[in-house]
Amino acid sequence: MANLNTRARQTNTYDAIVVGSGITGGWAAKELTEKGLKTLILERGPMVRHLEDYPTATMNPWETKYPGGKLPAAEMKAHYPVQARTGYALTEYSRHFFVRDDEHPYTETQRFDWIRGYHVGGRSLLWARQTYRHSPMDFEANAREGVGVDWPIRYHDLAPWYDHVERFIGVSGQSEGLAQLPDGHFQPPMEMNCVEKDLKVRVEAKIPDRRITIGRVAHLTAPTEEQLAQGRGKCQNRNLCIRGCPFGAYFSSNSSTLPAAERTGNLTLRSGSIVTSLILDEKKGKATGVRVLDEASGQEVEFYADVVFLCASALNTAWIMLNSTSTRFPNGFGNDSDQVGRNIMDHHLGVGAQAEAPGYEDKYYSGRRPNGIYVPRFRNLGDRASARSDYLRGFGYQGGAGRPSWERGLNAAGFGADRKAALSQPGPWMVRLGGFGEILPYADNRMTLNRALKDKHGLPTLTFDVSLRENEIAMRKDMRLAAMEMLDAAGFKNVVGADQGYGPGLGIHEMGTARMGRDPKTSVLNAQNQVHACKNVYVTDGAAMTSASCVNPSLTYMALTARAVDHAVSSRRKGEL
Amino acid sequence: MSNLPSRRQALFGATLSFSALWTTLSLPSVAMAQTTLSWSPKVLTQAQAQVLEVAVDLIIPATDTPGAREAGVARFIDRAMGNFYDPGQVKTMRDGLDRMQADAEAAYGAAFVSLGAGRQTELLTRYDAEATRQPLAHFFALIRHATLLGFFTSETGATKTLRYDPFPGEYRGCVPLKEIGRAWAT
Repeated sequence: MANLNTRARQTNTYDAIVVGSGITGGWAAKELTEKGLKTLILERGPMVRHLEDYPTATMNPWETKYPGGKLPAAEMKAHYPVQARTGYALTEYSRHFFVRDDEHPYTETQRFDWIRGYHVGGRSLLWARQTYRHSPMDFEANAREGVGVDWPIRYHDLAPWYDHVERFIGVSGQSEGLAQLPDGHFQPPMEMNCVEKDLKVRVEAKIPDRRITIGRVAHLTAPTEEQLAQGRGKCQNRNLCIRGCPFGAYFSSNSSTLPAAERTGNLTLRSGSIVTSLILDEKKGKATGVRVLDEASGQEVEFYADVVFLCASALNTAWIMLNSTSTRFPNGFGNDSDQVGRNIMDHHLGVGAQAEAPGYEDKYYSGRRPNGIYVPRFRNLGDRASARSDYLRGFGYQGGAGRPSWERGLNAAGFGADRKAALSQPGPWMVRLGGFGEILPYADNRMTLNRALKDKHGLPTLTFDVSLRENEIAMRKDMRLAAMEMLDAAGFKNVVGADQGYGPGLGIHEMGTARMGRDPKTSVLNAQNQVHACKNVYVTDGAAMTSASCVNPSLTYMALTARAVDHAVSSRRKGEL
Repeated sequence: MSNLPSRRQALFGATLSFSALWTTLSLPSVAMAQTTLSWSPKVLTQAQAQVLEVAVDLIIPATDTPGAREAGVARFIDRAMGNFYDPGQVKTMRDGLDRMQADAEAAYGAAFVSLGAGRQTELLTRYDAEATRQPLAHFFALIRHATLLGFFTSETGATKTLRYDPFPGEYRGCVPLKEIGRAWAT
């Protein structure tokens, strides 16, 4: 019996365990395996194989089961009341990549939009692929302004890892030489259309502090030899990315990091494996592995390793930590500071402006560019001219110009041959700018473990209590007005500004639940993403973020992950873990 | 906005005379449609389906490209009534199709499908005006919406009336509209 247990323990022992296979889990697995560590990656959801498991990738509009690929209202209400809040993402084409809310309940003390995909690859299949570096001022802002805690790292610590990640994933973009939006290693930028080009020229001439650039996006526009060798190809401008890309043209775990990890021969991927807690050796003060609920059998299985990477997404990583209680950590793993689950941040959006752009009726475009334009942050950059007295930090805009097609006629009056002829032509050019604003860390914007409400596996669920504060609300006014100002400056017509409202989480950039910091009393992770109180556990997903910046965060998560793996592997070699 | 109705009436004038001529020529096929739907309705009655078949082709008629009838839009709507629309919407649409039949008989003493295109268009114009006043509740708003959706996502509508390119390859941001010719389907 003792022998049997020893053997079971041996077969379930690896050098490293990675929890989660999304954008950071994939990176952790790639880096660990390429550095020679036998690595187990655990994914709670089902397998999604690149190419094979993209069932809708080449479906034509006339091949849908439902009109326009929209899901019936009754089904949305019964199974996807939260996922539906994105308003666009969940369709017949993408349903298999979203969780069913009725199977994964949580509690909203205040509205909280938790948009999730539980499957191999996670939200790396679903992301909008916008890829920006945090700037030096992002890493310095908390300390300068006395907000939250100071980042324990600076831009120069992460810069080489941004390089490393960008070269591998492939980022298309335009260098701009801006302090607030550092340039990176870019493949050729995508093209702006006629109206966007004129918007750029006119706005930059009239409002000198504004810059308009093409979105920086993790799509291959000139694949490298390395990327081609991985079976990835050039972006075909289909803009059906959410279905999975048959060309491997955008970066996902499935198309890129997981196959790279697999090729080393050092990877074991186990899907249907819900990590419920970390196993702590209280004497050694180290984690020895993780407990897994095997989805298929309902049995608990333990896996062991020298080092554990938590990459389960900010909210689920914090859930695992809060659910891992012990004599040493009665309030959750590594939670001496009581900061686990606090400081939830996102990017607030849903505010901006739109206008009509007359004068381009004879112009159109060809191809569906999976990208828009970007207006880098222009407020509170450290100089007097950009300083605001009504709020801290800033926002960027994402947007673009285009001509609506036949959909514009769906609810309009009229019928017959003239109506048909009109709708066979593109509609008027429309321009939109939508803000992405930084949210500050607030200790009482938090999630807590709810042991009273259990999910279908009998596991505790989460309760969220997150709201915007004065700083964000003041920023939103400016986000609306500054967008209108730009569209007016461009000479466009019928400029309309709007704040359509925002539920925390809807940016789908949730972060901050196990923040990095210098002091174990006020933070959960150190400068290397190690849990202060347990050095062989690394947290490298959005949970680690000390502040949010206003740029899309995935690139920073990936860079932090690669950097942390480098530290873990060398520490392990030196016997320091 | 205020000049829209008059502009539409003017256009209708031109359309009407053309349609009337076209209808006279193709009356036999309309009559045949009463007995030979090329598909079996799953939700609608045979009579309702025949009215719908004619209505969708009035909403999107054949012109230089095929219309909604050829694109199979009535069948598309019947299927969506079975798997997509909620029971209230299905009832609204079915009642609407029954009303079209009843209105035709009351006004002209004939089945809707056997009226000339001029009279059919007259009735639809009335429903269209009603639907504009109550866009969410009116059967014609639902049928018009479903017809456009069904037509422009059909293979015929997407590839002939519109342009469809599943694999564009390149993105070109500034192209003369003449070169593309029609709106993109997707």
